[in-house]
Amino acid sequence: MSSEMSRMKFYCDDDRCIECYGCSVACSEAHELPVGISRRKVITLNDGIEGKEISTSIACMHCTDAPCEQVCPVDCFYIREDGIVLHDKEVCIGCGYCLYACPFGAPQFPRDGAFGTKGAMDKCTMCAGGPLETNSVHERELYGQNRIAEGKVPLCAAVCATNALLVGDAEEVSKVYRKRVVSRGKGA
Amino acid sequence: MANTWGYGAMTNHFGDVVENSKAIFMIGANSAVANPIGMKHFLQAKDRNNAKLIVIDPVYTKSAAKADHYLRIRTGTDVAFIYGLLHIIFKNGWEDEKFIESRVYGMEDIKAEAKKWTPEVTADVTGIPAEQIIQVATILAKTKPTTVVWALGITQHSTGTSNTRILPILQLVLGNMGKKGGGCNIIRGHDNVQGSTDMCCLADSLPGYYGLSDGSWKHFAQGWGVDYEWLKKRFYAKKWMNEKGFSLAKWWQGVLQEEKTYSSSPIRALWVQGTGITSMSQQVEIQKALNKLDLLVIAEPFVNEAAVLSDREDNIYILPVATQFENEGSVTATNRTSQWRTKVVDPLYESKTDHDVMFEFAKKFGFYDEFTRGMKMGIKDGEIKQVKNDFNFAEDASDEIARIVKTIGLGGWTAKRLKAHQENWHMFDPLTLKGRGAMKGEYYGLPWPSWDDKHPGSPILYDVDTPVNEGGMGFRNRFGLEHDGVSQLAEDSVTVKGSSIKGGYPEITSANIEKVLGIKLTDDEKQKIGKNWKTDYSGIIQEKCRIAGVAPYGNAKARVKVWTFPDPVPIHREPIHSPRTDLVKKHPTYGDQTNNFRVDVRFSSEQNAQDWAKDFPTMLVTMRVVNLSGAGMLERTSKYLSHITPEMFANIHPDLALNYGIRDGEDMWLHSPQGTKIKVKAHYNFSVTPDRISLPYNFAGVMQGVDLSHKYPEGTKPYATGESSNTITNYGFDIITQIPEFNAGLCRIEKA
Repeated sequence: MSSEMSRMKFYCDDDRCIECYGCSVACSEAHELPVGISRRKVITLNDGIEGKEISTSIACMHCTDAPCEQVCPVDCFYIREDGIVLHDKEVCIGCGYCLYACPFGAPQFPRDGAFGTKGAMDKCTMCAGGPLETNSVHERELYGQNRIAEGKVPLCAAVCATNALLVGDAEEVSKVYRKRVVSRGKGA
Repeated sequence: MANTWGYGAMTNHFGDVVENSKAIFMIGANSAVANPIGMKHFLQAKDRNNAKLIVIDPVYTKSAAKADHYLRIRTGTDVAFIYGLLHIIFKNGWEDEKFIESRVYGMEDIKAEAKKWTPEVTADVTGIPAEQIIQVATILAKTKPTTVVWALGITQHSTGTSNTRILPILQLVLGNMGKKGGGCNIIRGHDNVQGSTDMCCLADSLPGYYGLSDGSWKHFAQGWGVDYEWLKKRFYAKKWMNEKGFSLAKWWQGVLQEEKTYSSSPIRALWVQGTGITSMSQQVEIQKALNKLDLLVIAEPFVNEAAVLSDREDNIYILPVATQFENEGSVTATNRTSQWRTKVVDPLYESKTDHDVMFEFAKKFGFYDEFTRGMKMGIKDGEIKQVKNDFNFAEDASDEIARIVKTIGLGGWTAKRLKAHQENWHMFDPLTLKGRGAMKGEYYGLPWPSWDDKHPGSPILYDVDTPVNEGGMGFRNRFGLEHDGVSQLAEDSVTVKGSSIKGGYPEITSANIEKVLGIKLTDDEKQKIGKNWKTDYSGIIQEKCRIAGVAPYGNAKARVKVWTFPDPVPIHREPIHSPRTDLVKKHPTYGDQTNNFRVDVRFSSEQNAQDWAKDFPTMLVTMRVVNLSGAGMLERTSKYLSHITPEMFANIHPDLALNYGIRDGEDMWLHSPQGTKIKVKAHYNFSVTPDRISLPYNFAGVMQGVDLSHKYPEGTKPYATGESSNTITNYGFDIITQIPEFNAGLCRIEKA
């Protein structure tokens, strides 16, 4: 256990990720997302090219210095003490600035309507809900499950078949990964 | 496998790979897609032991993307490739001579065959460069232990039986059998496949691989508490009791009778329960047969697309069957372990559990009492008899299995023990499977053989360095005591640790028990003892073996020569539809086969019917996609899973596609030698070379360009439907098992 204040982070070990989509499907299923809203995406580069193919899983990286928070014109973002970046959907105006600022393509917008009209932004909450009353029906409807409040691991990492997707206190995640790198004798 | 050393199942387990394997030789398996949890263990072995992952596959798969060495093989040339490796191994004297001499029979014939397969010859046949063959042979020789991993890419061929024999032979030559980190790890792709195999949901055997001999029927009659004569009367004539039935692969010929069949009657009714017959080859034939039947019943949690495939409007019934969450009982994992599963909810709506459907069926046909009596039986004073008047389904069914199935040692799998393992998960080590605390001395899930209710299970098969009572054993004595004057028992140097018998010994029977174990039976024991270890309900044979530290099935040699097979040693035979017409003459397939599973099968006549490669120049490889399994009906009802692959497609190299003027994402027709065709999207992809295409087998609902959407019962159409690859998988079946040739075929591409 770390003596520091914990800071929650995701990390995807691309030597382990096999593009199984387990994380992405579990996320959509758990939070009952509309099809097309991918809080978590699985990306493969150089698909099928010998020796070059690589897969990874990406969602909101819960940045320390979150650019989304900095560009938001209505200030709907807030960063919890444990580092999880959340936002208030009832304040969000769906302008899309955060999407331009985010280096990971994390913010998602509803795609229905004739011209793909934007509603409130949706993104990975690290399964920590939103600003509403914890585990209330209202919170669940707007933000999905709040597993963190229940002491549970975010679902994407919980279902990861190969333990590629790691989540938790940054130091702990780093320890797990460092151990792998050391015994592999290569990487990082 | 079973014909080599006694049992046809994964010999080691995933945790063992993580802990002990130094190299993983994966051929005809794509665990990253078909068994991601299995893949985790291979990746852990890479991380923790620096294990080398070697992947051999016609397609650069997701597993290949994680490999240290990837070898692109031409489909259907696995036997040739392994001989290529053996050639180098023997030439350099890298074989484990001591192991072969003491524990293997018939190796000279393999050596003779391997002589022919120089790296150059092998490279020409398999398409794998000679340098890579030499490199991998060297790695296998120098890296011990290596585990060999395979799945359906090996079995699903007209030469499937030879394929599944040559890989065990490789491991015997390398001396990797019965060793930690070695073994043959055949990976099952679905929940409880091993369980349904062990229960022989097949046309050629009673449960537990007992076969269909009179002795086996009598053993089961006794275990079920029914009269053998009564069982006999259930058949049209006695001879059908001992004859294989129609197989899942070619049942449709029982209906259509286009090829010669051997049965008392054509098949008139079909009952489908728990199998996606739309994932079988020859979909057009299946469609024809479904239409011709008098009656079709489908009993499934989801609408089986067989119902949609059929044009029939009458005498078709869909019965709603409960899912595993609405049921209780044991399931068997890929490593021969059993796990108890608890019911989560009662069956929803009007659905019934699988066994309740069967019970209702039995009641209607008037044999419910006989059908369920086995669950009321028990052993009292060394004799099997009815001990109660009622039964509790899951528990008593498990105990019945434990009581009857001795061949694979399910004696220890009582419901009570399996439930104790379920309740004490936390007490087991995930890598060694060893129990701690109250579970000390047992292995998780009691990997079979677990000979009796005191036995801890056997995590690694054929391990002679571990006492029998702690999970050790030699190879099974299954093929007689001698062949061509050579003893089939293990040499004297192979004594199973802690055994009272030095070296090899035969399987134990009532006739030889006193001599082999050096004991005297009492008169009472002599009266109660069964004929042999497989049929002995009294438990006396097992009890005496336990005391002597002896495996009841013997301690024999593995054999690499199966004298009853068409190919006593495996030889390379070109696929029936081979892209190499020049090699067909040199390595022809078998002669046409008469009456296997009640039907004739074409081999050479099909192979030589025309120059297939000329008219169908592209190799056809089928594959699974990670989000869909089997026929895919279950997963395609999930919008999220369907979203990943919303349409049927084929992976095609741009160079090949552009030969036909096909752009990425455009439709194309694929034609098969059988005259069937499917229309699919071209998906530009570099995982395939321009000589082959790969396509998923998980779609249905479109047939030869015709959308069958209107045929789904209201509200049951899945989110994604598409052409089935099995509409164009080529004709071809294994000579022994009759498994269809899914993986080595040909097709012709046409722009749509």
